[in-house]
Amino acid sequence: MIMAAFSITSLCILLIMGIVMYLRFSASARQEMIAGTQKLMEQAGENLEDYLISMRRVSDSIYYNVIKENDLSSQDQDIQRGMNLLYEANRDNLRSIAVYNDYGSLLAAEPVAWQKEDPDITQQGWYERAMGERENMHFSVPHIQNLFDDASFRYYWVISLSRVVELTDKGTSRPGVLLVDMDYSSIARMMRQINASGSGQYFYLCDSNGRIIYHTRQMQIRGGIAAENSRQAAAYKDGVYDEVFNGERRKVVVNTISYTGWKLVGVIPYPAFTSGMFNIRYFIMIFMLLIAMMLVFINRVVAVRISSPILKLDASILEYEAGEKPEIYIGGSQEIRHLGISVQNSYEQIDQLMKEIVREQNERRKSELDALQSQINPHFLYNALDSITWMVEGERNDDAVFMISELARFFRISLSKGRTVISIKDELQHAKSYMNIQKVRHKETFSMVFDVDPSVVSCCTVKLILQPILENAINYGVAGMDDCGEIRIVGRQRDGRILLSVIDNGMGMPEEEARSLLTDNDRVHKHGSGVGLINVNKRIQVLFGKEYGLTVKSEPDEGTEVIICIPAVPYTEESRKILEKGYLFSKEELDTEGAQGMEEIK
Amino acid sequence: MKDNKKIFILTEAVLAILVLFLVSIILWEKIGDDCIRVSVVVQDPDDGQWSAFKYGLKMAAEDLGIDLSIVSTGGVLTARELEEIILYETDNGADGIIVQPVPESDLERLSEKIKKKIPVLLVGTQASRTFPTVGPNDRQMGTALAEELLRDQVGNMDGKVLGILAEYTDPKGASDREQGFLDGIKEAGAQIRWSVSSRDLDAREESLGSLPEVDLVVALDDISLRMAGEHAAAKDLHGALLYGIGHSTQAVYYLDTDIVQCLIVPDGFDVGYQGLTEIAQSMGHPFYKMKDQTVSHTVLRRDILFTEENQEIIFTMSQ
Repeated sequence: MIMAAFSITSLCILLIMGIVMYLRFSASARQEMIAGTQKLMEQAGENLEDYLISMRRVSDSIYYNVIKENDLSSQDQDIQRGMNLLYEANRDNLRSIAVYNDYGSLLAAEPVAWQKEDPDITQQGWYERAMGERENMHFSVPHIQNLFDDASFRYYWVISLSRVVELTDKGTSRPGVLLVDMDYSSIARMMRQINASGSGQYFYLCDSNGRIIYHTRQMQIRGGIAAENSRQAAAYKDGVYDEVFNGERRKVVVNTISYTGWKLVGVIPYPAFTSGMFNIRYFIMIFMLLIAMMLVFINRVVAVRISSPILKLDASILEYEAGEKPEIYIGGSQEIRHLGISVQNSYEQIDQLMKEIVREQNERRKSELDALQSQINPHFLYNALDSITWMVEGERNDDAVFMISELARFFRISLSKGRTVISIKDELQHAKSYMNIQKVRHKETFSMVFDVDPSVVSCCTVKLILQPILENAINYGVAGMDDCGEIRIVGRQRDGRILLSVIDNGMGMPEEEARSLLTDNDRVHKHGSGVGLINVNKRIQVLFGKEYGLTVKSEPDEGTEVIICIPAVPYTEESRKILEKGYLFSKEELDTEGAQGMEEIK
Repeated sequence: MKDNKKIFILTEAVLAILVLFLVSIILWEKIGDDCIRVSVVVQDPDDGQWSAFKYGLKMAAEDLGIDLSIVSTGGVLTARELEEIILYETDNGADGIIVQPVPESDLERLSEKIKKKIPVLLVGTQASRTFPTVGPNDRQMGTALAEELLRDQVGNMDGKVLGILAEYTDPKGASDREQGFLDGIKEAGAQIRWSVSSRDLDAREESLGSLPEVDLVVALDDISLRMAGEHAAAKDLHGALLYGIGHSTQAVYYLDTDIVQCLIVPDGFDVGYQGLTEIAQSMGHPFYKMKDQTVSHTVLRRDILFTEENQEIIFTMSQ
């Protein structure tokens, strides 16, 4: 996500930058192209003007230095010589020089050539214009010179510069026309030079009426294959114009040539602006793509550097939450490291708090257990001491000694160095001591039988669980019977459980009453309070779990059986400590422990 | 994480493909920048009769961005020499050829040798079944010449005797022109006294002046017209009036100097321009089938020789 966000953002910025750059670049290139075209046209215009000025100077020189200075009738040789000199000096640019009188008759010409038969000079456009506007010089549009006979069968294209001159013939002034035919190829060469760029733009020359003087596609235009907007261009003043011609948008740059009114026109079709930029466009795109590749790569590296520690931290937290206890990942940037350390500290504190809570709970359980155990001690001690007192008073010293020694054993096991868990062997011993004390107290009116499997005695139990049951069996079972009362203590191991049964053959009780013995703590029972049984049941369940405890079976006049069910945990110091800490063994552990215990017993 | 890596690799791959695509476009453009080259093989290309044609070719080449190569043949070619030149040009990278066949050319064999690898267009010849052609309608030009002649004779040529001069570099074209001319005057009552070519005269070691006297000489091609013009200028045609078909400045000069009475000028500029345009079209479109191209002709008279339109015709001949 980080990479995608970085990449999309940077690519968008890159794209916008690319487009802006391209637009800026293309606008700048367009401006540069137009400026370049204007500059080129200014240069070309100056060259053309220089050329035309030189032709005007030739015309002026012939007129003022040759024609005006000489009389046609007497100095025709001087005129011819003067014209020859000027022609020879400018022959690269000139095709011919000729002087005609006001009837159109040829008076002199250079180079000397035969005039064509009846060229009808007065009908020629250049002659008409010169005679029409006598004060001006006139430049014609390009045309074939058809005045002189060229035996080489060639026809030359010329631009005619014509003017009216004042001829002196036998001392008399009369008008005439001086014709300077400029070689069209000189102008064509200049125009070809500026058209040589080949970048899509082109330049043409037209007169003030839009008639084309030079165009790269001159013949195509005249043949109708192509077209040019020269009439419109001729109407433009100098400057840059936007126009649409034949459906094509283009920039038109117009520059007027002095003296002639000709227009030098530069045409830049819009595709020409972009033709040179075709590759630049692709290069910019390639550049942008490469930058994009680099950005994506950098974004990836940055995103991985940022996200990798976070993901690792997340993974370790998930593992922690799943119950495993891995080390919380601490790495990456300063902030992530700080976060990892904080999480780890939090978890450590939680662990500490959990342990604290468990310890407190165990302590609470233990104190609860201790409180329950302490409920029985004062009651029993009072009765035992009462019996001993009674024996001493009856001078039954041996019995008193026996009672005291049993009581001592009884209390030794009761105390058990403060332990809660003892072996069943000790518990049975405790039960025996208790029963011996009680038998003395009840004048041997009942008997007791211990029927305990040897495998049972080496297992763990909560201490003082038999005594309250035996107490009930005596008080509410066999106490009223005449020497036929019997209390049997049976110990068996089944399915990983220890079953210790206290069976009396007393008066018994109804089934409903037997069931309510362990459930209703506040009820006043017919056969005793039941506090002792509830106490025992709670203690067993506190220590071993809810699935263990007491079961009471009874039938009226048949007797009562109280079955203690506890797990078969072999009694060792270690298992004792574990149980006392409040740890509840699972069934599998008990099976294993039981098996080991059995092995030890065997 | 894995998905991210896949997206990253995919993005980089797409961008790399785009870069390669653009680079290939640039390279392709550079390869494409190589100009199309068209070779032109005509008999004696420096001769004035080809000026307008070459100018038309040059203009079309500039318009279409074609590299034009006019093969210098140094004079009249034999059929074998012409074939060798064409095959040489084909093997040396010409993308198209415009050729003026010689009378003995075996065009079908040439076609087999070229194996249609490049387009070939014929000039200076009439319809060929093997290759497309570009040129004027010879029959119409012959007829137009006859019409002009009849106009000068006010439609009546009874008792007039004609001599016809034609060069058979293109036998079919010459025949068509002659036939067109004869069709045009067949009901005018003229008599054809002779019909020869300069080759015939050379073979017979005769000159045009030695042929029987006629009232009118009709030259049906530029070479014949120039030859007849030379004789007329030298007053060696026994005062015969000269009419003809031509497309050189020499022919125009004879008209300008009143040696030729009327000149029919095929549009040489269009022959070159249309010919190259047609061949360029066939190169640009693989399935384009080149067609025969017919160009127009113009009737020139001395009194209208220097009109603006006609000056343009002379302009193309003067290039």
